[in-house]
Amino acid sequence: MPNQPHADAAPADKPADTPAKATTEPRHHQHAQHPGSDGLTTAAVVLGAAVVLGNLGGESGAPAALLNPINPRSQPDMLSTHGPGVPSRGAAVSATPPSAPLTPTALFDWAEGQYPGLFDAHATDQSDQGLVYRFYPGTGNYLGVLNGRVLVLGPATGMRVTDVGSLQSLADAVAASHPLQPSDAEAARFLLHAQFSASDADIADVRARGHSGWLDTQLAMPPGQSGWDWLVARGYSAINTHEHFFANGSYRFMIWYQLTQSPDAVRKRWALALSEVFVVSWRGIKDVMSWDSFGMAAYWDLLCEHGLGNYRNLLEALTLNPAMGAFLSTRGNAKEDPATGRQPDENYAREVMQLFSIGLHKLNLDGTPQLGPNGQPIESYSAADVSHLARVFTGYNTDDSSGFFFSPKAPHPRVANLPSARGRMAFDPRQHSPLEKRFLGVVIAPGTSGPESLRVALDTLANHPNVAPFLSRQFIQRLVTSNPSPAYVQRVAQVFNNNGRGVRGDLKAVLRATLLDEEALSAASLTSTTFGKLREPMLRVAQWARTFNMRSLQGTWKMALDDWSPTTDINQYPLDPPSVFSYYRPGYVPPGTRMAMEGATAPELQIINESTVAAWANLAQGFVLNGFWVLAPETSNPPPYATPTDGFDLVPDYRAEKALVGNTVALVNRLNLLLCAGQLSAPTVALIVNGLSVDRIRADSPEAFKQGHVARAVLFVMCAAEYLVQR
Amino acid sequence: MHLLDIENHTRRAFLRRASHLALAGVATPMAMNLAALGEAAAFEATDYKALVCVFLYGGNDYANTVVAFDEARHARYAQLRGGATGTSLVVPRSSLGPTELRPTTALPGGAKYALPPEMTDMARLFNSGRMAVQLNVGPLVQPLTRQQYNARVLPQPPKLFSHNDQQSVWQAQGGEGSTQGWGGNLGDLALSANSNAMFTCMSVSGNAVFLSGQNALQFQCSKAGAVAFESLRGNEWGQFLYEPAMREAFSQLIQSPQSHVLGEAYNQITRRSLAAEAQLTGALSGVTLSTPFPADNPLADQLKMVARLIGGRASLGAKRQVFMVSLDGFDVHDTMAVRQPALLKKLSGALGAFDAALQELGMTDRVTAFTASDFGRTLSLNGDGTDHGWGNHHFVMGGGVRGQAFYGAVPPLSIGNTDAPDDQWHVGQGRLLPSTSVDQYAATLARWFGVADTELHAVLPNLRHFGDRAGRPDYPVNLGFMKP
Repeated sequence: MPNQPHADAAPADKPADTPAKATTEPRHHQHAQHPGSDGLTTAAVVLGAAVVLGNLGGESGAPAALLNPINPRSQPDMLSTHGPGVPSRGAAVSATPPSAPLTPTALFDWAEGQYPGLFDAHATDQSDQGLVYRFYPGTGNYLGVLNGRVLVLGPATGMRVTDVGSLQSLADAVAASHPLQPSDAEAARFLLHAQFSASDADIADVRARGHSGWLDTQLAMPPGQSGWDWLVARGYSAINTHEHFFANGSYRFMIWYQLTQSPDAVRKRWALALSEVFVVSWRGIKDVMSWDSFGMAAYWDLLCEHGLGNYRNLLEALTLNPAMGAFLSTRGNAKEDPATGRQPDENYAREVMQLFSIGLHKLNLDGTPQLGPNGQPIESYSAADVSHLARVFTGYNTDDSSGFFFSPKAPHPRVANLPSARGRMAFDPRQHSPLEKRFLGVVIAPGTSGPESLRVALDTLANHPNVAPFLSRQFIQRLVTSNPSPAYVQRVAQVFNNNGRGVRGDLKAVLRATLLDEEALSAASLTSTTFGKLREPMLRVAQWARTFNMRSLQGTWKMALDDWSPTTDINQYPLDPPSVFSYYRPGYVPPGTRMAMEGATAPELQIINESTVAAWANLAQGFVLNGFWVLAPETSNPPPYATPTDGFDLVPDYRAEKALVGNTVALVNRLNLLLCAGQLSAPTVALIVNGLSVDRIRADSPEAFKQGHVARAVLFVMCAAEYLVQR
Repeated sequence: MHLLDIENHTRRAFLRRASHLALAGVATPMAMNLAALGEAAAFEATDYKALVCVFLYGGNDYANTVVAFDEARHARYAQLRGGATGTSLVVPRSSLGPTELRPTTALPGGAKYALPPEMTDMARLFNSGRMAVQLNVGPLVQPLTRQQYNARVLPQPPKLFSHNDQQSVWQAQGGEGSTQGWGGNLGDLALSANSNAMFTCMSVSGNAVFLSGQNALQFQCSKAGAVAFESLRGNEWGQFLYEPAMREAFSQLIQSPQSHVLGEAYNQITRRSLAAEAQLTGALSGVTLSTPFPADNPLADQLKMVARLIGGRASLGAKRQVFMVSLDGFDVHDTMAVRQPALLKKLSGALGAFDAALQELGMTDRVTAFTASDFGRTLSLNGDGTDHGWGNHHFVMGGGVRGQAFYGAVPPLSIGNTDAPDDQWHVGQGRLLPSTSVDQYAATLARWFGVADTELHAVLPNLRHFGDRAGRPDYPVNLGFMKP
């Protein structure tokens, strides 16, 4: 195994713990910390004293060695004292009465969340002669319980059966870190980090499976229908006088459908986050690319596919994606011409470094900048690096090998066929720069082919030490908190660099590490006045649509939110940010706030101002009652004008909420759980209940009036600061 | 952060300042104590003046905006911009006659410039004396030669050629994450001149660091005016929150103080929005402009709103204001021949209409608009576009401008990398090495706005490296394009 620490050296690094500290630390403040890639080191501490049994591993059947531990040396306190979960708090754990009995299944689930480097995916229980165990093919490790003892066997222990303690001795550590049975609020909180919404069923599911188990189930889900296929199924690939191939906004319907309806919500939530980091914006391609909506769909599908794959593959797919090519002008990028002085286009070369991989500054693993002798950050590349890297991205163009057609609408322009909008751009070696490419310390010799140059360039970028901290911090910002601690960034970055099995850039592991980190889950971060992020407007809308089972009455799903009126503007259009710099910058520090004094970043606040706060309240008031107004909902083609059939076609289902009408406290509590993970404070709930209590509503009021009552409650909640800030 | 020179402060101004802060809700508690002292050096303004920053997001290409027009230099430009090739980005000389810029004093060496044919309004403004061009201006920490740039021994602006950072450097002398811009610093000085400090720094564009100072905060006004909270409108039939008590609870909810920094930041903005909306809407309702503004032109929409706000200055109690508007899309790496002229047409049409509106309001002499942009672009082509550069040519417009003139040095048209003199004013591919700094540009505007010489250095910290006091009379603190 890579990065395998020396198990025998590790205990010496860890001095005896300090019981005094434990006594000063209230029990309820104990929180396990995620091991990150230190997992192996710390696990080695855990597993310090092992007994050689020989290599008896095997991928099927119970490992006999686990059933016959020879001379086991038990270390009941080892995990709780030195384990990654509860450093420095072992004494407190052992001094505390044991928690409720711990089942092997619960232990395994917990261990998977805590030590993804050892127990890398959700496995199923097996049993044999009293031994209950799980096997992890990815790492070759076994984790088992026999006669109340917890045993580990595999590469992590040098193929030695290692007794890491009694099951009961671990109960507190498990209980102290993540409750196996998260409360409703904890489950909802996790759901709202991991996906768009929390339903009653979701909450029950998380409670049953635990955070990690639930997440693995979600990650194992097959991808839902692709955005591309959705557009085709809705008729948007038809060649007719609607000219869907020119500056067509149907991608909006596609993305809102994906955000609000796709069953694989975790994947889609993650892809949306990635779309804010690896940006292609519709407004940047609509006038320069045929089949622009399909181009956006192919880009979106790419994020959904490679987002849970490997970063290196994602980077390559992005680089050659037709929409990206149109957006950052790799498409048509030709080699230099000494006769005219023409140079390769630097656009993609610059942005792929600044935004998609390494960033401007050399970073420490925890995301903080490395400082030079002058105390200033060290720039990670120079103008010359950009000019040379630009040569790598020459020779690419639209792949129009599928041919052309003529638009049926005058003046009948010639248009490349639909397949040109997906897959990879075509490469023309004649347009590829034959010059030397020297960047970031790498030299690609003159005359090197385009594909080989690309391979070296993307390998160089993907393997740069900046990538993990640079991207990890942004991923955490997108999903969890605007100002992650350097330690949090480092833990995720370590998983980026090594998923525990020697694989770099495993984005699924990075997502798990981001969501399951102690900083994301702990109750302490809930009491912090700085933890969390502002909920993005598009996430608020998607959350509302999913929470209240929004449906399209006509089944055309023409959800666009493209009103553009300043009085009701959502101010954030999915897949259509203002530029490659997205909607806001990860380094944005809001002026005139406490955050400015501390240099604290709050990206989402960059789109919040005196107009947009009012526009949000107005937009929400517009949809909470009856949903979204759609022009000619019976047809997939959006008319540019009003028609007699216009109406509310995308409508919420408030049945569960209407059943609570008459009990305002219960209604608000329900909204608090589903929309806010219980994060509305008691005074806020009281204020909302107070505002709603004057509603002249009764249990036997007409349905429409009940609908209004619920909608008013939703409006109150979705405009409350404690909702708008997601912790 | 940089504190203003507190040497000159007076207790009276401090107290007045403090009361303004308390009333207007613009105070940032952290900055209150020290910055409020600095505020003491504020204007004693009785007249009205406004600065309008027109930011061209993406980095406007200089060579096709202020186009070489004399025969020799146009030929050189045409050669560098693709000549007669299929990917030519040359604005033909034959098309430039009507938009030639005819300065009252000819440029040395027979140099002439013209605007592209789409920019008729701005050519007219220049030739009628209400517009000037500042040549080759860009961020500098101190004067720099190409040799010094290459040697990297002297301080340079951070993160050159990077969009977001150079936007920030232009606006705030620092990269992404900066929290104070020079427009906001001017606003700090102006706060006490205005009866409602909230309306000192106003953006009709999005959020920009330019308008944030020590105490001054940007107030964002949409192109349609202040946005009201529909839910709080009272006494209307069919109102969603139909009972006054519902609205009262909602109003309380959305303005409630928050212990969480993000929630408090959000609700602070809500409080400002609610506090300003009625006054703003009332002030605007009294202003109607007959000047037509071009349609389908987002910059024109914004400038029209600025003109209306200026028209409503009395109701807003404003004596000194800094505005920001913007147009984006200037990052023309490709299809530049189509995209840039369309944008320049919008710029020219919007500024032409703005000038006409100011005349209608009788405020031409009181308002100065100026352009800014991320950076200029390369002179060499990358195919059908150009790449990120540094120095750029910019426009200053208004009755206070000594117009019909060029300021700064005419940069050579060169992409060569030799020791020849012509190659010393770019840093490769015709990326201009600025011969005038943003600080000089800003200082010249700030003086007109009313900032005393002693205060300029506090507003513009890099200014100390320029001008006579720095032993660089070739980089004057006053560029001379504003009337005294």
